[in-house]
Amino acid sequence: MDMNEIKEIFFQECEEQLAELESGLLKLNDGDRDPETVNAVFRAVHSIKGGAGAFGLDDLVSFAHVFETTLDCVRSNRLEPNQEVLKVMLRSADVLADLTNAARDGGSVDEARSRQLIKELEALANGEVPQAAAEPAPKAAPPAAAAPVPPVNEEGFQPVAFSFEEFETGEEPAIDLPTYEILFRPKSDLYAKGNDATLLLRDLSRLGEMSIHCDMDGLPALDRMNPEAAYFAWKISLKTDKVEEAIRSVFEFAEWDCELEVMLADDQAQAHEELPMQPVPFDLSMLDEEPRASVEEEDRTVAGERDIRELAGSAAEATSNVVQMTPSAARVPAESGRSAASAAAQSAASQQAASAATPTIRVDLDRVDRLINLVGELVINQAMLSQSVIENDTNGTSSINMGLEELQQLTREIQDSVMAIRAQPVKPVFQRMSRIVREIADMTGKSVRLVTEGENTEVDKTVIDKLAEPLTHMIRNAVDHGLETPEKRIAAGKNPEGTVRLTAKHRSGRIVIELADDGAGINREKVRQKAIDNDLIAADANLSDEEIDNLIFHAGFSTADKISDISGRGVGMDVVKRSIQALGGRINISSKPGQGSVFTMSLPLTLAVLDGMVVTVANQTLVVPLTAIVETLQPEASAIHSFGANQRLISIRNSFCPLVDVGRILNFRATQANPVDGVALLVESEGGGQRALMVDAIQGQRQVVIKSLEANYTHVPGIAAATILGDGRVALILDVDAIVAASRGQALKPEMSLAAAG
Amino acid sequence: MKKRVLTVDDSRTIRNMLLVTLNNAGFETIQAEDGVEGLEKLEDANPDVIVTDINMPRLDGFGFIEGVRRNDRYRAVPILVLTTESDAEKKNRARQAGATGWIVKPFDPTKLIDAIERVTA
Amino acid sequence: MASRNTARKKLKLAPVLDLNEATALHERLLALKGGAVTIDASAVERVGALCVQVLMAAARSWEEDHLSFTFAEVSDAFIKTTQLIGVDVAPLMAKEI
Repeated sequence: MDMNEIKEIFFQECEEQLAELESGLLKLNDGDRDPETVNAVFRAVHSIKGGAGAFGLDDLVSFAHVFETTLDCVRSNRLEPNQEVLKVMLRSADVLADLTNAARDGGSVDEARSRQLIKELEALANGEVPQAAAEPAPKAAPPAAAAPVPPVNEEGFQPVAFSFEEFETGEEPAIDLPTYEILFRPKSDLYAKGNDATLLLRDLSRLGEMSIHCDMDGLPALDRMNPEAAYFAWKISLKTDKVEEAIRSVFEFAEWDCELEVMLADDQAQAHEELPMQPVPFDLSMLDEEPRASVEEEDRTVAGERDIRELAGSAAEATSNVVQMTPSAARVPAESGRSAASAAAQSAASQQAASAATPTIRVDLDRVDRLINLVGELVINQAMLSQSVIENDTNGTSSINMGLEELQQLTREIQDSVMAIRAQPVKPVFQRMSRIVREIADMTGKSVRLVTEGENTEVDKTVIDKLAEPLTHMIRNAVDHGLETPEKRIAAGKNPEGTVRLTAKHRSGRIVIELADDGAGINREKVRQKAIDNDLIAADANLSDEEIDNLIFHAGFSTADKISDISGRGVGMDVVKRSIQALGGRINISSKPGQGSVFTMSLPLTLAVLDGMVVTVANQTLVVPLTAIVETLQPEASAIHSFGANQRLISIRNSFCPLVDVGRILNFRATQANPVDGVALLVESEGGGQRALMVDAIQGQRQVVIKSLEANYTHVPGIAAATILGDGRVALILDVDAIVAASRGQALKPEMSLAAAG
Repeated sequence: MKKRVLTVDDSRTIRNMLLVTLNNAGFETIQAEDGVEGLEKLEDANPDVIVTDINMPRLDGFGFIEGVRRNDRYRAVPILVLTTESDAEKKNRARQAGATGWIVKPFDPTKLIDAIERVTA
Repeated sequence: MASRNTARKKLKLAPVLDLNEATALHERLLALKGGAVTIDASAVERVGALCVQVLMAAARSWEEDHLSFTFAEVSDAFIKTTQLIGVDVAPLMAKEI
């Protein structure tokens, strides 16, 4: 793994953290005051900042820092996260996301916006009302605050400032070096915290020529001592070319847990006479066995990636690095054996570490797709094999049949498992929507709350990817057209804040996504009039409320008085409908005046397979998606009623249902078929109404592998896709909604009557 | 003899940086994602030194350090705290919890390895 | 472990003489009081100051009891660490080995 890979991991992690951040802020917005929620939000920003710092992403670090500071105020209860505060924070989360994207993909962000937010965040942290003209405080940009950067050499280290000019050559014999007298008296805490006087003295001895006296006066008798208490103290005489700061920095970690005096010795001779000092040999290689060289190598690789200023900014630490680096260069890595048993334990532990680091594996989508394709071929192949066995073996009870059944079962299971690999929760798409809602709410001056449910509902990745766009448009539409202004809402006795509810759930092998608003609902009179004006319906057409509502999905339909900037970008609900249909889905709307509208989308869980009913129409084999079929029935002559020129109805349990002649609509035949000779499939069209599709015969039900017609041939009206059947023939999959639409009121449009016979 | 380092950090980025840095420096690295997992892995890791983050879900660094110091077998293991802030308050709390030393983030490999060497034999 | 077969008892030090070992070492030494002791430090890899404190306290205690307390077979790490921290074990080294 190299730094680029880690950087990639960092950005992946950023995405997760940003999602965590947003969902946490939304929870707070909903009144959640669980400290863990606040902590999670804080951690998300903190974590982004930490990683960004390691990669020298200054803009990201500065912004995250200010954000974090304000979040810390919330965490420590110094700032109440009310709606106003959260508004700033949610916008900050958006900017943080933009900055992250900019850091990954290049490009720029709206600097004015982030500067403004920095001001607002700082104002919040300072307990102020946001002020537009406020000067950015120094903490707004920590790297800038560390501005006077001292010159650094190639390694990124500052030269140590020697105060003894005459010794600067450093090559002089040690006699003339200054000597420090050091008094070191550890407290018991030093040992309790995992430190040890021996380690500190070891590091000290590396600074120069050291003599030491161990003061054992405090040591009590064996039976009265506490074995974990500190009794020894040391007087050290150290002849070194290092400054006092370097000596003190050895004791940096022990600062609170020992008494330490460091002074320049006035009279070295006297110090030596006073106490019996033991000279400490320089060769202490036995005590440190660091494979040092590799560290320095790694340092070079990472040094380029990190923020040099961070190093320079902490001058004291850099200095201590220098003083420690010099003697350590002389260290020799020593080897010492260990038993085979412990070596085995080590390798076991490292395996464990490896598995802990990768609880999941990341796989190229291409590979999964290839696998899915192969499984699709397997399904077809298995079906073909079954068919030929059935055709050639009339006994029907042979063991081959049983084996085939098992094979079919296995194939199905493999297929399900492979599909599950591609299944992902809709969460990321839903989370993206909350930003859309915020932005449109800001633009329209409306107050909106987005509530999401069922975020963990899983669906094929392709479906998820293609869902974002229509969903975005619908959300824009819901906020822009669906919800009223706060004033109107108050006037209507509603909560001034509108609610948009986004729900996902599984229902009978499909995913159903619902988008509900509590706005004014569809103005049916207006829609109807518009449809009449646009020649979509006849002026005297008798349409149900449901049918009127669904008119908004017609091409070129827009009820907004003037095209707004938000949802009127030349994209109507018809485009939304078409994208949903392209996914093999259905969409419909139900609306209650004054109470709001609900858009319901039903989508297949996967785009790769489909449960279908195989039927025959004019000697062609077609597949009707099973999900569309409500029931099948054998029409009787008495149930068929004709009206108009060539319209027919079928009466089913005392209600009438339009009869749709599939063969005629698809231009498979020139004349109407006799319903009594065929079978009727009762289907539910997306408008909610039922239609009876007339086909000649039903061959059976089976799962088919979807092959795109667009990809392999060209789009055929009324046909959704194609498949290969067990006998090797190509069959077309019917686009039920298109067929129903074509049958509604008027005949097929010219382009719809293109020969679809495959 | 390879020194064993237990790293406890919830950030995948930092965990990987630690892993790469420590492995290149010849250490054996055992990873945990938070304080709870850190305590669970103590036995298997049998670390010579522990490097831990402070802000973590489930059990934060302070709690984790206290947990290690209460563990009869591993209470003597030196613990280094990764901290973004160099402010005294955080260091102080970490010290009170029983931390041996600290590394200021964003860490650079030299600082990290130096700190580890300072607290290990 | 102390051998009970001979009058002179032997105590073998653990490889790692850290905080945890200090208490154990303390207890084992207390149990050996009243008889001559030879410390075997040949396996020692790491020495902390706390264990040196215990050993030095024991040496004094044995001296007060006019009993022999000597080190035999010391490892390099043991010698170097004690030298480093200014504790001279040379006078306690067993001459006969």
